[in-house]
Amino acid sequence: MIAPEVVTGAFVCLMAVFVALCVLIAGIRGARGYRNRRRERIAAPVRPLLLELLCADEAEQGWPLLRLAEMDRRTWKALEPTLAEMLGKVSGTARSGLVRLYELRGATENAVCELGSLRANRRGRAAQVLGRLGHRPAVPELCRLLADHDPEVRLSAARALGRVGDARAVPYLLESLRGSRAVPPGTVTRALTLLGPEALRGIAAGLEHSEPLARAVSIEVLGATGAVSRTTEIARALRDDPHTEVRIKAARALGRLGMPDGLEPLMEAVRPGHPVGLRIVAAGALGSLGALAATGPLGRLLGDPDPHVAATAARALLRLGLAGEDTLRAAADDPAGGPAAAHARAALAEASVGSRLDVRVEVAL
Amino acid sequence: MTAAGDGAWEWLVGPAHLLIKACDIGIIIYFLAINTAYLVLILIAVGEFVRRMRRASFAGYDDAATSPFTPPVSVVMPAHNEAAGIIEAVRAMLLLRYPVFEVVVVDDGSTDGTLEALREAFDLAEVEYVVPEDVPVRGRVTSVNVPRGGPVPLVVARKENGGKADALNVGINLARYPLVCMVDADSILDSQALLAVAKPFSDDPMRVVATGGVVGLANGCTVVAGRVVEPHVPADLLGRVQVVEYLRAFFLGRTGWSKVGGLLIIAGAFGLFRRDALVAVGGMDPDCIGEDAELVIRLHRKLREEGRPYRIAFVTEPISWSEAPSQLKVLARQRRRWHRGLTEILIKHRRMIGNPRYGLIGTLVLPFYVVFELLAPVVELAGLVLVPLGVLIGAVDLDFLWKFMIVAYAYAVVVSLVSVAVEEYAFHRFTRWRDVWGAVVGVVAENIGYRQLTAWWRLRGMWDALHRSPQEWGAMTRTGFGSPGGVTDVTDVDAVLDVRDSKEDGGDRA
Repeated sequence: MIAPEVVTGAFVCLMAVFVALCVLIAGIRGARGYRNRRRERIAAPVRPLLLELLCADEAEQGWPLLRLAEMDRRTWKALEPTLAEMLGKVSGTARSGLVRLYELRGATENAVCELGSLRANRRGRAAQVLGRLGHRPAVPELCRLLADHDPEVRLSAARALGRVGDARAVPYLLESLRGSRAVPPGTVTRALTLLGPEALRGIAAGLEHSEPLARAVSIEVLGATGAVSRTTEIARALRDDPHTEVRIKAARALGRLGMPDGLEPLMEAVRPGHPVGLRIVAAGALGSLGALAATGPLGRLLGDPDPHVAATAARALLRLGLAGEDTLRAAADDPAGGPAAAHARAALAEASVGSRLDVRVEVAL
Repeated sequence: MTAAGDGAWEWLVGPAHLLIKACDIGIIIYFLAINTAYLVLILIAVGEFVRRMRRASFAGYDDAATSPFTPPVSVVMPAHNEAAGIIEAVRAMLLLRYPVFEVVVVDDGSTDGTLEALREAFDLAEVEYVVPEDVPVRGRVTSVNVPRGGPVPLVVARKENGGKADALNVGINLARYPLVCMVDADSILDSQALLAVAKPFSDDPMRVVATGGVVGLANGCTVVAGRVVEPHVPADLLGRVQVVEYLRAFFLGRTGWSKVGGLLIIAGAFGLFRRDALVAVGGMDPDCIGEDAELVIRLHRKLREEGRPYRIAFVTEPISWSEAPSQLKVLARQRRRWHRGLTEILIKHRRMIGNPRYGLIGTLVLPFYVVFELLAPVVELAGLVLVPLGVLIGAVDLDFLWKFMIVAYAYAVVVSLVSVAVEEYAFHRFTRWRDVWGAVVGVVAENIGYRQLTAWWRLRGMWDALHRSPQEWGAMTRTGFGSPGGVTDVTDVDAVLDVRDSKEDGGDRA
């Protein structure tokens, strides 16, 4: 049995911990309140100047910019989080004023140095700030961070590269999709779409990448950015790529691009025998394409055993205009229509109340 | 008792003495172990919070909110007799900050005009609809309604009454997007809730199959236009105790479990799942009271059996708010139902318990739930009987006992107080000093009476499960969150308006 002295000692310790925790809670609250008030007090005198900078024309930014650049280190520290937030929200001259302020303060260079910090949160934040500043000289360092051991730093670097908009990042972003330190495809896709037209050549080179995910992302980006000149390559990927995920992205991209070259491979892709996910996306893409030639194949899909394929086909038919509607009506009126008639009636009913008729294009993450 | 009688029973006194002494020591060890286990989970959670706080500035929510590549979400909201609050709830859902999502409301045979209220508010038209049968459902879908003419991403289905799990299954079938978010119709979500809970899916799309969000107590909070704008600790003691309990067991405990890859429960009030994973496991189990927890265990089971790498994560940002029972009677029903659910789940998946095939879930998490959750009321109530008995027969020294009881109580209080301190450090949601002290009062009061009462209710829940007594869903008295656009203190509504909408509550596990 435990000795009574031990129990008494434990009780005294616990009471001490209890009191310490109460003091800690009060201390945390008090310190936070004090810190916030202090920050407000320090930043208050320069806020009007900041507003002036944000509202001024380019020619009028000089004076507030110089005054702000002269602020002491303590004031800068209090104001900087607000500035970093603003950088992500403002555009035009207001943004260029803020960028200039960062440069004058030497904060941009500091952020570049922070990219090499031992602390992950510093690297991540520095990457974000540099992205918001659109600081092109930092691109090589940001590309290096795509292989950082910390996954959140990698994400921050990828997002930053997208914001900076430098086409040099394309191969690094595509390469970052593979390996044990991979960057998620959604983030890479977003970053690549932000890079602008000069990056398209590099992105198109990704169609030949050995990594299926890199091919899928390249196709998705080309579709999202309207790279119609790449329709042939994307159509080839839909026909020939051994990976279903790449083919699904290709089908979706062809629908977005809306070029006639996409029609034939999409009509092939909706046929039975292909993976269901691909057939669903291809059926939706045929609707987006809007080619009347797709009416027949889509009409046949109304009776497909997979309800998602059939429902997508019905919605896609509505996008084909009168010909599609006629096909749906014919299917709906068929006395022995079964599921096909039901899908046709459902699509027509939704159309009749003017509801949204977006086709199903998302089948998986 | 006569001397002869004393002699007849004398042989029994020694072994009984020993047995009771052994039990008492066991109870003491158990009490220390359960609080230590929670303390460890809380400390693990603290590490996670510190990490999150330091990285909050580059979490990327703004990018996710504007990116066309953020995975779209179908928000499934089962509703039964929710006419009083459904309009505001749906409006609040439709105003969530997220690039692409739809709201699917499943009216589970309401009799209070829930569907009619929705029809009027959103100008719904009934349309013919083919509901896929990806997961099995029991209650037939009788109508599907969509808004006329507008781009409002809303679908309202009405079905025959079949319970919450069945309604969720219909919602899964109707969901058109790859992620399905399950929310209670009376949940209040923060505007960033979907972004936060979907973030792990974007960051780790190959592995994450489900995420759970933090559920806070809305009691006492100020709610404006379907959003909690000022979180407060409720004024009543029962509410305060529940705030502390939610903090310790549900918030910090689950964060700790998530960090070590052992999250077992995602609240039915707010969870996000891959649709394909839901379909693969056959959706919700309508026969199980704790269908939310059961679903997560089934996901673990299937994915472990298939040997697939996966993650089920808990999102630590405070995002969802639910109303907790403000009456003992209602609380009793809730806790009885929860424990019944837990018992049924652990019986159903007993093969996983202690089984190394299921990794950490089988070897640590499930045994933990058996020992420290399932059996807790048994041990706690046994302690209430055996410890005094031990004193009575002289097996336990009274002086030692009272000292030990005070120490044990102080330990439990310290563990709960650590939770309050962690909340204050990491999230500091409560802006008023009196809220913090209200929580401290809850910490002190939790172990006096409340814990023993919940032990009794939970024991009854376990009994119900073991005897397979008929499932009683019970009427959950809720006070609602006030009228649209109005500023409402939930507790005030309770007192002044006494708006009561009874709802069939199919497992709003927090």
